Amino acid sequence: MIYKVSYVVQGGEYPGGIKNESERPKVGDIVQVGPMMFEVMEIQEIMPPRDDFQFLHATIRPYRTGVESRN
Amino acid sequence: MHEEDLTQVMRRVELFRGLSQAQLQRIANISAREVYGKGDTICTQGSPGDRMYIISHGQVEVVVRDRSGESYPVLYLGQGQVVGEMALIDQGVRSASVIGADDNTIVYSIPNEDFTQLCQTDTAIGYVMMRNLAQDLSFKLRHRDS
Repeated sequence: MIYKVSYVVQGGEYPGGIKNESERPKVGDIVQVGPMMFEVMEIQEIMPPRDDFQFLHATIRPYRTGVESRN
Repeated sequence: MHEEDLTQVMRRVELFRGLSQAQLQRIANISAREVYGKGDTICTQGSPGDRMYIISHGQVEVVVRDRSGESYPVLYLGQGQVVGEMALIDQGVRSASVIGADDNTIVYSIPNEDFTQLCQTDTAIGYVMMRNLAQDLSFKLRHRDS
């Protein structure tokens, strides 16, 4: 199965992205969109699957490591 | 990349969903592999849209320049996505610039003229790809509206 994922950044401050993934993203996953890393907050199916393709919408937020978040 | 390998790449691209191996091979025959570095311009807003691109590896940044001359990224597209397809449909100029967002970004370009000719000689390819293009545009609209 190929997962076509629309990544939308919470708050709209950063542009999101669209890409194909070989594994279905899960809440808590860390993904790269453009130059930045993001954490997946929510996953929804936005269209019925067609053949080998599933169509997902993921809400993401900028990922900060523990070290960064303490600064 | 060998053409046989390109058809394997194409099987993971929704644009080509539903096409046979022979049909994929005919499209592979009119596709050209291009490699870009981070920051390289793939196509420029306002220029004639003479080809569409399939992203095989890496990411591209879609950048819009507004009336004040300020440019800003509006979308990142990664593996398996199509970019530059609007010009294929409406024959207008590029609505945005497309920039390599990663080093070793690999795309396959398909010239509009060759693609149109192929669709005229094999109408089944034309039907399937136009259907898939419409679905891809619908997906992008849903993304933008989210």
